[in-house]
Amino acid sequence: MSQAIFFFLKSVTMALSQIWANKARSFLTALGIIVGVASVTAVIAALTGLKAKVLTEFESVGAARLYVFPNRPDNAPRTKFPWEKCRLKVEEARAIVEQCPSIKGLSPIVDVPMSVESDSELIEGMNVSGIWPAWHDAVGRKVLRGRPFSAIDIDTGRQVALVNEAAVEELKLDRDGNGGIGEHVLLGGRRFLVIGVVETLQARMFGMNSSQAEIFIPFSVAEKVLTGWYFMQFVALARSPEVAEEAKAEIEYVMRRQRGLARTDPDTFRVAAIDQYINQFKSMAAGVTAIAGGIVGISLLVGGIGIMNIMLVSVSERTREIGLRKAVGATSTAILLQFLLEAVTLTVLGGLVGLVIGKALALSLTFIPGANLEQADVPYWAVAVALVFSAAVGVAFGMFPAIKASRLDPIEALRHE
Amino acid sequence: MEEPIIQLRGIKKVYTVGVETIHALRGVDLDIRRNEMVAIMGSSGSGKSTLMNTLGCLDRPTEGEYRLGTRLVSAMRPDELALVRNEEIGFVFQSFELLPRQTALENVELPLLYSSTGGSASSRRRRALEALERVGLGKRVDHRPNQLSGGQKQRVAIARAILNNPRILMADEPTGNLDSATTAEILALFSALNESGQTIIIVTHENDVAAHCTRVVRLRDGRILSDLPAEEDPEVLPFVPEARETQRRRRSPQEQAAA
Repeated sequence: MSQAIFFFLKSVTMALSQIWANKARSFLTALGIIVGVASVTAVIAALTGLKAKVLTEFESVGAARLYVFPNRPDNAPRTKFPWEKCRLKVEEARAIVEQCPSIKGLSPIVDVPMSVESDSELIEGMNVSGIWPAWHDAVGRKVLRGRPFSAIDIDTGRQVALVNEAAVEELKLDRDGNGGIGEHVLLGGRRFLVIGVVETLQARMFGMNSSQAEIFIPFSVAEKVLTGWYFMQFVALARSPEVAEEAKAEIEYVMRRQRGLARTDPDTFRVAAIDQYINQFKSMAAGVTAIAGGIVGISLLVGGIGIMNIMLVSVSERTREIGLRKAVGATSTAILLQFLLEAVTLTVLGGLVGLVIGKALALSLTFIPGANLEQADVPYWAVAVALVFSAAVGVAFGMFPAIKASRLDPIEALRHE
Repeated sequence: MEEPIIQLRGIKKVYTVGVETIHALRGVDLDIRRNEMVAIMGSSGSGKSTLMNTLGCLDRPTEGEYRLGTRLVSAMRPDELALVRNEEIGFVFQSFELLPRQTALENVELPLLYSSTGGSASSRRRRALEALERVGLGKRVDHRPNQLSGGQKQRVAIARAILNNPRILMADEPTGNLDSATTAEILALFSALNESGQTIIIVTHENDVAAHCTRVVRLRDGRILSDLPAEEDPEVLPFVPEARETQRRRRSPQEQAAA
């Protein structure tokens, strides 16, 4: 065993016995550190849980999902890229489906608010969307009852419709316990047969749709029924989340070629992937973490001052001991290290206790119903950070008392009463 | 004749307390040879504490040369002096200065904590046990200071002082806190250590303690007043026969422990 290790172990042992001998005092002193570490651990655990929850939710709704929007370049002259050249066209949707190997499915979407009439109800401004069958997969909304659109519906332009449950309710379609299937609705002067019901969109986290009732018709029919619309977007599904980036690049390539854009021309459309929203969330979470970090910084500072205070008391109480240690050969550096180690032992112990409490808090968070924190857990990096910070507080605030101890004159110290 | 292990030449020590200048030592020359047992005596203010601190390398003289063995310690830096204290000097104090939460054994091991060559854990323990055996305290090694009598505490302190086989053992009023019977035991222990070759310096103001030494150095006003064998010091002389008798009776600490 080398002398340095022996010195270290012996110093830590002595520090522990010192802490044990002054249990109440040490506990109160370390309380600042304990509370600081416990609270930040709990906050980080909660954030981690929320993040995991949100990410799995994104994952389930589709990290593989891509949207294509028309987009007029910001700094380009209006004459060069008129709206007419920017808006999406059905041919472009077909081209993407045919030419992009990473795309599993795609549907154009047109959304227009229209008056919809059932036998008993008339609803103004209901959201009417024209879609392709691939829409279900692409947005992850299944048909609950009835059947989805088929290729025949689209190709032959049959006047069939899907509604969501909110629409079933608002239009009072569920009359004979058929859930609305087989009823007819009127829109744009045409009669549509309701062939299926899809789930109502859950309240979105980054609120896009607040309207609840929706009705879907085949895209080919929508082109005829809906008049005066100019806005179309595409929703596409990549074969897997891993190839989402490639899918995005493929779409961009096909779109540019379709539009005959020159190398120097900017994109007149935009392809957005869900990971942009994920990044948005992640930066928000990082912001909250930073704020929590600031709070813990303050509590560690307060805790650190307590440590400094108690170490000064300790140095003063143990002046004779320091004198003796110097008499038997301790150098100033050895005394300095011993007192520093004592402060660090105290703060690290405080940090450990704080971590245990924080872990317990994190565990209890997972039992709060509806808090979306089932996955709350203390990540390993947070454990490491908490311990490193606790040790750093010990060094920073133990330094002054340790220097004071190391500079004591042995003769004076031994004479101290 | 053998070279002295301690050579003081023209040692002066000046303190400044506020605006006052105190000449604690005004030029001390002193040689101490190996295996001597020297009493340093003097009233308070005579400079004996300062001389003790200087000899013990706790303090550096303002002027003059101090050679310990071959080393000129008067020219050393504080950290070098710490090393010298660790290796060459053992201290015994009036109030024992044991660490209260450590066992006797751990207290004895303390100097090894600051030694550059501490050795393995088992060798540390063995050395500490040996030292405790030498002071006749081989059995109570796991007791804490508050479980020991005054005499036993001082034995632990002596064991700690002799652990590194120091060139000099410095004792500052080592029996000041002890009753007369225990004082006699401790002094006999010092004599026994001295007989086994240990050089000892005892600072005291008690003539009966000085009587156990072979040589008595008296200080007054920062200078050496007299430096005589114990038998020739008029004030110590009356106590010498009793001291020699005690030494004969308690020949070795082992016998004592057995008694």
